[in-house]
Amino acid sequence: MTDMRPLLILLAALLVAGCNDHAAPTTATEKAMTNATPRTFEVRGVIREVPAGGQTLVVRHEEIPSYMPKMTMELNVRNTNEVLNLQPDDEITFRLVATDDTHWIENIRRVGRTNSAPAAAPVEAHLVRELKVGDDFPDAELLDEHGKTVHFSELRGQAVAFSFFFTRCPLPDFCPLMNKNLSAARRALLADKSTATNWTFISISFDSEFDTSAMLAGYARSYRGDDPSHWFFASASPSTLASIAPQIDFMFARGEDGGFSHNLRTVVLDAQGRIQHVFNGNKWQAEELAKEMKTATQTKP
Amino acid sequence: MKEIEGNSQQGDLAIFKWVAAAMVALLIGAIIFATRPAPPPRAPGEPDRLRLLGDFRMTDSTGREVTSAELRDKFLVVNFVFTSCTVSCAQVNQQMAEVQKLVAGRDNVRLVSLTVDPGTDTPPVLAQFGARFGADTNRWLMLTGDKQRIYELIEDSFLRRDANLTVSPMPGGFIGTDRIVVVDRTGRIRRYFDGFSQATPAAILNFLNELNSNS
Repeated sequence: MTDMRPLLILLAALLVAGCNDHAAPTTATEKAMTNATPRTFEVRGVIREVPAGGQTLVVRHEEIPSYMPKMTMELNVRNTNEVLNLQPDDEITFRLVATDDTHWIENIRRVGRTNSAPAAAPVEAHLVRELKVGDDFPDAELLDEHGKTVHFSELRGQAVAFSFFFTRCPLPDFCPLMNKNLSAARRALLADKSTATNWTFISISFDSEFDTSAMLAGYARSYRGDDPSHWFFASASPSTLASIAPQIDFMFARGEDGGFSHNLRTVVLDAQGRIQHVFNGNKWQAEELAKEMKTATQTKP
Repeated sequence: MKEIEGNSQQGDLAIFKWVAAAMVALLIGAIIFATRPAPPPRAPGEPDRLRLLGDFRMTDSTGREVTSAELRDKFLVVNFVFTSCTVSCAQVNQQMAEVQKLVAGRDNVRLVSLTVDPGTDTPPVLAQFGARFGADTNRWLMLTGDKQRIYELIEDSFLRRDANLTVSPMPGGFIGTDRIVVVDRTGRIRRYFDGFSQATPAAILNFLNELNSNS
């Protein structure tokens, strides 16, 4: 006889709460899986791979509301003819059909390409396109150890190698090793009389705040001795770094202690200002750099 | 009890129930409101939203191709590395090494380290890095591959990424890379643990046991 309506409201409130909880999508998924009739979803995504055989497509799809979050999945293709002309980076729309025990995609339509602007709205473009060997290195401005502004474009006609460091870098096998390698490669090139003279090394600090010109001049001496030929030290401003770092996959971030997390990139530009080689990390030798530089001095337009 | 309740009492009770239900509903509403949008996951914590492990094809430190398909039906203990990292990664990997010890003999658990700097972290570099922590390459996979694909996987499946990326931050602009993540056997991301805490390996083991007994 008791009025059950309040309890029903409470139950409803709890259900609503349950549905808003992060567990909800699972219940939605479970519902979909136990549903006798197939569920269909119109989905948009970007092809990541077209596996041989055409039975599946690897697609990074957008969120499928109340079914699946945005993610990359290998999806079954119902009609293999539909994938014949598809390639990675194609943007597609398709229908996803999910039954009790299987799924497939159909009605696949190519609507654009992510790497060819301006296509339909890209799903996401996170990463700046990184430069490849042979690409022109963009001009950028540095502040050298004498307090003078230097542009990469002023170095055209010279082979250039540059590496990143900061003077407070404490670990011998990271920044100091890069400068040691530059030093040894410079020595080798200076000693090799068959090497042309159109080459320059640059050690670039990404800690421009602390590494003033005066600081760099003192630091340079410890690696270069009294002979400054073919090698200068400089700092890159935040705006210079913002433009060049992503293009050469150089990553850095200031830590809480004033130090930096960073990787190591040493880039060789040929005399035409094109990327000839990039040394990643610290597992390379000074002789390899000297050899690359010798080649780079000889590039013809 | 009911027999002695008069009509008016029943009326009072009904009103009381209505009021109580309304208050509980309001309270639940307030809780939902307060918890949405979901705050960034703290360590340890639950995912900010439903997160599932995406499909991938990567290369491990031995040069072997590893796909998500081969890890299906395994519990995964995942962290994020870059070998140029000096201090913090070493601490987190130390906890991973402890987890590796604790789950020895369990074939349904794999440890996975995803690099956020694949340009540097080639298989041989990862092999050297893994050796520092005693990684058993059959049970602890250090994975590298195409940068964009790895970043998509990490962002879709594991971590939020800072939306205002103007430079090229290490480690990739991801938030909370010093956590260790447990993925269940259905590929659902279940829980984030503090990668610095020495209590984490035991907590992960407990959680794996809990998941295992529920599955």
